[in-house]
Amino acid sequence: MSEKELYLGYATDKVVTPFFRKFLEALEQEKLMKSVCPNCGTEFLPPRQHCQKCLSETELKEFTEREAKLYSYVIVDFPPESLASRAPYVVAIGEFPSGLRLTAHITNLTSMPEVGMPLKLAFDRVDEKKITYKWLV
Amino acid sequence: MTRRVAVVAGGHAKFGKRYDATMRELCAEAYKPIYDEGITQDKIDASVLSYAASQFTGQGAGSALIADYLGLADKPHLRVESACTTGTASLRAAWGMVASGLYDVMLVLGVEQMNRVSSARATELMAQAGDMRWEYPFGISFPAFYALMASRYMHEYNLPHEVLSMIAVKSHHYGAQNPKAHLPREVSLEEANNAVPICRPLNLYDCSLITDGAAAVVIAAEDRVKEFTDEPMWIKGIGAGASEMMIQDRSSLTSIPGAKRAAKAAYKMAGLEPKDIDMAEVHDCFTIAELIAYEDLGFAEPGKGREIVENKENYHDGRIPVNVDGGLKSKGHPLGATGVSMTYEILNQMRGTAQNPSRQIDDVQYGLAHNVGQSGQFVNIFIFERGW
Repeated sequence: MSEKELYLGYATDKVVTPFFRKFLEALEQEKLMKSVCPNCGTEFLPPRQHCQKCLSETELKEFTEREAKLYSYVIVDFPPESLASRAPYVVAIGEFPSGLRLTAHITNLTSMPEVGMPLKLAFDRVDEKKITYKWLV
Repeated sequence: MTRRVAVVAGGHAKFGKRYDATMRELCAEAYKPIYDEGITQDKIDASVLSYAASQFTGQGAGSALIADYLGLADKPHLRVESACTTGTASLRAAWGMVASGLYDVMLVLGVEQMNRVSSARATELMAQAGDMRWEYPFGISFPAFYALMASRYMHEYNLPHEVLSMIAVKSHHYGAQNPKAHLPREVSLEEANNAVPICRPLNLYDCSLITDGAAAVVIAAEDRVKEFTDEPMWIKGIGAGASEMMIQDRSSLTSIPGAKRAAKAAYKMAGLEPKDIDMAEVHDCFTIAELIAYEDLGFAEPGKGREIVENKENYHDGRIPVNVDGGLKSKGHPLGATGVSMTYEILNQMRGTAQNPSRQIDDVQYGLAHNVGQSGQFVNIFIFERGW
């Protein structure tokens, strides 16, 4: 039985481990998963399979914050080869009220981004094999 | 107990788009002046090859190829890789082997050949040095990482882009006087400030070059130094640092935490302070990186680096001359060669042999090399002391 291919974002790293696959399958359901260490309680966004502090196996839990602020951004005019068709595009680090951060594209800007502006987390199907989280202003 | 170690000789290939050469010929070009000074193969115990990215050439086992080409096939060799800090990481590795007594005399060769692929492909390969799972899928190129720092810095300190362009103008002013530079020509402030965008807020003149080149130095243990030179440059302080892999995880984007840690360690080992430094070679892969380096190295308070730029204190006759060889911006940035090239430049400045008097710094007692890898994940800082 072969499961359908599923990747994150726009350029694809085709190495998908079982842990990462769970993250991607949740993302298909418009759920963004963080990971929580059952041993020391540390939270990670994006998730990591092993706790950075105690190396325990973490657990995926739904991350429910949606509103963030723009911490920093770049408008990529000259892209890596793999994203040539999307340029120019805006990459933004958003910071949630909890302090956790996430890096994704802002896809609906009509004017120049500004540090501190509000961002809203959203989800998108890029093509039949790729899904992503993204920022909206 | 460690022995003191000095840089006793250096050589430098022409940086540029070197379609006339492979990494073999580039390394020979860098080693030849050292050979001509009398440090022939029989005097060298072992070599380290600083070669950051075999993806550009396809050549594996680089240190074997180069050792053989230079007539060193019967001497131990190894390759070091740590992104753009590969050059000073190689020097750090070699220092350890000489200081410990394993070898007395070592050749450190830095080389990179990046123009065998297109600029788009080179940008792709360097983007793969970001986190492949979480950053690469969003197309965060090497300049994009530094643009994320620039956006935040410009916001926090209300910095106009023009200050960054002033750094580019200075780099090109000195690159134009360096016969080894990749792009040896002056640029005006207007040209630099209005150039085509690459990763806004950074434009073409904020970005270093995709360069082929090589540089080499020989280091020796203190009891062997006199065999090679009366003008040794002692390795006085070494500091290394590291920062988080993903840029979003940094506590600050207006500083490189690993660079501050590395600087502290280097100053401590050298017994020196920022005010003691007579010149610096800093890792200006992007103009914002040079500005941040002033602050991480303690030449300016946080947010005040622009004063060094606006007052031209970073020129060869200023308070703290920085990158008066053109830097990565104008001299070029062949990844593995860069840290070795910085060392070579400081040696020449101390010896009064900068190729052009208009970029010769007076009386350099202490020189500092600040070499940063990727967007700050690796940092090496060396402090060198004139030994005569």
